[in-house]
Formats: sequence, structure tokens, C-alpha cells
Amino acid sequence: MKRIPDIAGVLLLAFFAAFPLVYTGANYDYVMHVLITAFFYAILASSWSMLAGYAGQFSFGHMAFMGIGAYTTALFCHYFYITAEPTGLCTEFAFFGNWFVIVNPIGVTSTTLTQDCLRQAMAGWGDSVSVTPMPVLLGIVLGTIAGGVAGLLVGLLVLRLRAAYLALFTLGFSEIVKATISAEIDITRGQAGLELPALFENGVTVLGRTFDKTDKIPPYYAMLFLLVACLAILAWLARSRFGLFVRALREDPDAAAALGVNTTRYKVYVFTITTAMAAAAGAVQAHYVQIITPNMLFLLQMSLVVAMAVIGGIENFVAAALGAIFLQIMLEVLRTSFTIGGVEIDMTTWRLVFFGILLMVVLRFFRNGLIAPVIARFRRAGVAEETVAKRRAGEARS
Amino acid sequence: METPAIFWGVILWMIAWGVLGSILLRRRYFARDLDTTNANFVGAMAGAALGPVGIGALWAKTPELTGRIIVAFALLAVVLIAGAFAFADPKNNCVSNGSFVASQITNGLIIGIIYGFMALGLTLIFSILGVVSFAHGEFYMIGGMLVYYITAVWLPGINPLLAVMGACAIAFLIGALFERLMLTPMYTGKIDRPVEYGILATFGLAFTLQYFVQAIHGASPVKAERFIDFPRIRWPEDSDPLWIRASRGNLELFETISISNPRFVAAVTCILVLLALLYLLHRTWTGKALRAVSQDRDAAAIAGIDPHRMNMLAFALGGMIAALAGALLVQAFSWLPQVGAIPAMRSFVIVVLGGLGSLPGAFVGGILVGLVEAAGTGCIPDAQKAASYIPAYGMIVLTLTLLLRPTGLFGRRFASGAHGQ
Repeated sequence: MKRIPDIAGVLLLAFFAAFPLVYTGANYDYVMHVLITAFFYAILASSWSMLAGYAGQFSFGHMAFMGIGAYTTALFCHYFYITAEPTGLCTEFAFFGNWFVIVNPIGVTSTTLTQDCLRQAMAGWGDSVSVTPMPVLLGIVLGTIAGGVAGLLVGLLVLRLRAAYLALFTLGFSEIVKATISAEIDITRGQAGLELPALFENGVTVLGRTFDKTDKIPPYYAMLFLLVACLAILAWLARSRFGLFVRALREDPDAAAALGVNTTRYKVYVFTITTAMAAAAGAVQAHYVQIITPNMLFLLQMSLVVAMAVIGGIENFVAAALGAIFLQIMLEVLRTSFTIGGVEIDMTTWRLVFFGILLMVVLRFFRNGLIAPVIARFRRAGVAEETVAKRRAGEARS
Repeated sequence: METPAIFWGVILWMIAWGVLGSILLRRRYFARDLDTTNANFVGAMAGAALGPVGIGALWAKTPELTGRIIVAFALLAVVLIAGAFAFADPKNNCVSNGSFVASQITNGLIIGIIYGFMALGLTLIFSILGVVSFAHGEFYMIGGMLVYYITAVWLPGINPLLAVMGACAIAFLIGALFERLMLTPMYTGKIDRPVEYGILATFGLAFTLQYFVQAIHGASPVKAERFIDFPRIRWPEDSDPLWIRASRGNLELFETISISNPRFVAAVTCILVLLALLYLLHRTWTGKALRAVSQDRDAAAIAGIDPHRMNMLAFALGGMIAALAGALLVQAFSWLPQVGAIPAMRSFVIVVLGGLGSLPGAFVGGILVGLVEAAGTGCIPDAQKAASYIPAYGMIVLTLTLLLRPTGLFGRRFASGAHGQ
């Protein structure tokens, strides 16, 4: 009985790993897209549940860190290039025999879209000079680091804040990030959005099978891998001393400090780690959808992550991830409309209302979420019998 | 040297000395065994305003930090920033154009009164329940939506005053119902971490309300008709410029300051309701009971007050206040289901600035935030950027408050309720 959650987890993982290879529906790309988005939310929800559920730091700025990760890689890939010849127009400097070119920002005006200095230089060159964009992977790594650094700074700022103040501050931080991105139109192109290269711009060849850059399978496995990696890191952290300290921090910071836990340090650590995960998810997702806009940072997205984590089980990150996958799939399934007694109900608009109500009901009556108690139930099965048996054995010996 | 460079240089210099001052003076006061609550703030302001001189003087003398010193240094710092700005950009509208400045300040005051009023609801909820209501913006939104629906769709031609009252009553009921259904387990100790539960529960309410309205109404913006028209006033008759000139939708003072009708009506109503609220809180049994619960929950219970009923009343009243602010502003701004986010953020900023749980603090904070936003939108040269950054001005205030004086302007160190744990 105790092994059932583990077995179910392995089976589920195997299912997700095999799914794209065996599924052959007509809506293949759509289903893949839904699943990739679901994994994206699963990373956010599980890292948020580590931050909020385990460490008790109710941050509503998780989406801002995700956005920082996404925009870092977007700006990196958008503005930096390596060329074989100097352009003579851009800011540039020598770089191991080539030229590192920083493209000038041109804003959103459509007539000037091809007017940045590099495009002008390329028009002059024809095809004779090679222009290399920055590697996507480096962008994602940089995005992750930027998110982590931002998390570190915010973590340092909010050290003294508790509960309500922390929630307010992080919410405000998220608004600032959104406002900055929307306002600095010259650089971020504001609401017009910034285009990114695809995750695998030149396609990939695995085991003799070539995948185009629009194929869904490579990003699917990339996102699944990221999810599993994040869950593994979180599980490792939760079982180590770190998890213990962080939970002590949640229950009673003063008592934890009195017992020798460096509360300051662990608070900052947990902020940095979880925000870096959010940033990594954001960077990969941005390269997958290939365009990002400040709308990614709307409070709706944060509400969705919160709802997913709460409905799954806020104090168990695996449950939060499962909740996210389940909810994201449900959100897509509910894109229908049906008729009751002559009244047509368009579920596309009503589904979020139902999720809000579900969120409140779960909060009120199932405080540990819907999935976490199931896992806990199996984990605890037989514990009573074991204890009784142990006691008996102890009595018999004495 | 270019002038913007001088401006940014001055700002950097002020920030550097401010940071240094706040750290140094806190240590100094701590080492001398003095009260350190205000040392951070005064140190930062002294460093920003006077640089090494100010910090040195305070370091040497370590005077008792009275309100007068605090305010003097803070004002000095603000004046210095304004001076540097004026020097750097002499052609800017808010340096050279006196009437623009006057109207900007007036409008900042008026909108600040409305913000402060809305924040009052939030602080009322916080001081009694110990919960920051994340649904405050949604109450604001449904207040406006209800007024629009009552006056324009359900009962066209109805007196707008009745519509506003109806919207308030519905918001009150929603608040009371939500509190009964969702927040009651917080009080009995059934929940490990009541503060976080409260945050999540109100967050859930916000989510539900917003998408409920969106599902019913759709995403098209609406705007209510003006509630009342100003009478035509020219006063005094023969002076030039006229001191007061009013036409249907506009009020002009000295022919320079222009105030639009909806904002004026909203501000006046807010002040009237505020007075009524103060009367309720200070002169009636219910109000005294509310304040008693906010001071000491157990003692109030011993004195025969039912704290649970007061919780319900406070949450409903707080929601109603937000709804009233929305109901008054729906004639000024166009209304969407998402409209609540920015006023909610603003209320949070105001409440933290004024001190969580302090009623006068909320009002003063509201006016301050209104002025800061007016200065921000008026003075930044690029108008489009200035408008996009509106949420950020308040956040700068919030960050500074949290760093320098976390208790806020009028904050109490300890309040009852579930906070402070």
C-alpha cells in the first residue's frame, strides 16, 4: 500500500513520456500544446507551493520572476548577434575574430521594423557575411540566473516582512515589472510583444528522426524534462535539512531562530531557488510560443497558479504540479458551450468562475487540497498496524 | 555638463547618503541605547537632504527624534529633489507653468481623498479581522458595475443616489455573506495559519467575482452618466478672473484650476460619508464595539461584545466602502471587469504608508499617494510613459515605507486580530 503513490508516479511519468509517441489523434498539435502549457504551469505551481506551502512565504510575485526569465532571454536573443564582419553601424566590438553586435532598439513603429542597424548592414552584405544569433540555451540559462538574482534581491528586501506585508510587496513588485515592460516600448516593444527564436531553431535529429522547428515533440520533452528536474530538486531539498529548516521557518520563525536555524539565510535561499525555477519555466515557455507580451504577467496568471497549487495541495509540491496539469487540461476541455432548458451557457467564459468557486470550496473544506490527501492516505496506510506491532514487539521483549 | 546628468548625479548622491545614513544612524542609536524606531527614517532623510553634514550632526548629538525633526528632514529632502528637478529641466511643464502645477495639485488632492476613502475600508477590515482583503479591488469594480447596470439597464431613469445606495447595499450583503461562509473558521483556531488562509480566501473571492462579472457582462467598457450637473455659477459677478466658474460638467477656480464634475462629486460624497463613518465609529455603540474589538478582542468579548458579529460587520462595511468609491467613480472612468486591480494596489500602498490598521493614516496616506501620482504623471516629460508607470509611483512609496518605517505614518506596533503572530 505504501508504495502505491510511488508506483502511480512512475506510471504517470512513463505515460507522459510515451504519450507523444503513441498518440495519433487529428488534433495532435493542439493536445501537445495543451500538455506543454500544463507542464509550464506545473513548474510554476510546484515551485510556488515550495515557497508558499513549505516555507510559508506567500509571494504573489511569482509571475514577475517568470516574466523576468522570459524577457531576459528574449532581449538577449533579440539584441545580441555575432557577425563575421563589422557592420560599421551598430555598437560592436571584436569577439574572438568575429564581431559582437548590439542591435539598436527601434521601438514598435511598423515602418521601421527592418530599419535596425544590423538589418541595414545585412541588406548591404547580401549573403556573403555570416550572422549568428545567440544560442537559445545560453539565453535560457541567463534568464534563469536573472530570475534567481531578482529573487535574491527581493528575498533580501522582504526579510523582515511577514504574511500580509510580504504578499502586498510581492504583488506590487509584480505590478512594477509589468509596468516597466509595458512602458519601455523602445526596448521591450511593449504590448506589441517581443519575438523569440524557436526552442530548436534549426530543428533536431534524434535517433535518425528529424524534427522541424515547429514540431511539438522536442519542446514537449524539453518542458517535461524541466518539470521532472524541478520536481527532483524540490524533492531533494524537501527531504534534506533544508526542507526541515524551511518548514520550521514556516511554523514559527522565532522558535526556529532560537534553535539555531539561520532564518534569514534560508528565507533568501528558498526565494532564490523557487524564483529561478519560475524564471527557467518562463524562458523555455517563451521560446516555445516564440512571442512574449506583458500580458503574461497579468494577475490572472498568478491567480491560476495559486488556484492550481491550492486545489492540488499547497503543502505538497507534487500534488501542486498534478493539480496544475489537471486544471490546465480541464480549462481546455471546458472550452465548450451547452444548453440547459433553452439557455445557452458558454463555458468558455464561465469556466473561470467555476474555478474560483472550486478554489474557495477547496480552501474552506479541503485545506490540504484534493490530491495531497490521497497521496497522504496511501503513505499512511498501515502505519497504525505497524505501530501496534512495534509496541507489541517492544512489550514482548521487556 | 548636461543638466539631466546633474539631476541624476544629485539623485544618486542623495540615495547613496540616504542609504548610508539609515544604516549608520540606526547603529549609532542602537549603540547609545536609544529608541531606534525612527532612526532609519531620519537617517535616510538627513543623508538625502544634507549629505555628510546632516548625518554627522545627528551622529554627534543623537537628539531625541521627535515628530518635528522627522517632518523637517523629510520635507527638506523632498524640496531638494524638487529643486534638482527644476534645475535640470527648467522648461518642464510642472516647473514653468504655475497654473498647471496648481491644477495638478488640486486634482491630486481630490483623487487622493477618494483613494484614501477606499483605503479606509481596507484598513477597517485589517484592524478588526487582521486580514488584508485581496478582494478590495473587486468590491470597487462591482460597485461601479452595479451603478451602471441599475441606472442604465435595469431601472433606467432612477435617481443615481438610489442606485449608489443600492450598489452599496448589495456589496454589503456580499461582504457579509462571504465573511460568514469563508472566514469564520479563522477565528476559532481551527486553521494553522489564519493570516495566509485569509489572504487566499479573499484572493479566491476576487478571482470569482471578477470572472463572474466578466462572464455576465463581457469585456466591453461601460461608463455611467453624470449623476448631477453643476448649476451655472459666475462668482463674484464683476471680478476678473472669476473666482468660481461652474458649468454643467466642469468647475473652474480662478480660471486656472479645472475640476471635472464627477471627481468633485465623488470627493465631496467621500468626505460626507467619511464624516458619517467617523460618527458611527466614535458616537454609536456599534462603532465603539468595533473599535474595542480592534484594540483588544478578548477584553471586548468580556465586555459583552460579540467579536464574530463585529468581524462580519467590519468586512461588510469595508467592502461597502470600496464599492461606494467605485460607484462614485464609474461616472468618471470607463469601467471594465479588470478595473479593480490598480485601485486595489493603490489601497494597499496607502494602507501600508498610513500604517496597517490606522484610520487617520489611511486618509493622510491617500492624499499623499494622490499627490505623488499627480507629480509623477505631470512631471515626467514623456506623457505616455508617465501614464504607463502609474502603478510604479505608489510602489516606490511602498518600498520606501517598508524599508524605512515599516509601521507606517501612524502605525501601531501591535494590534489585535490574527496578525502580529
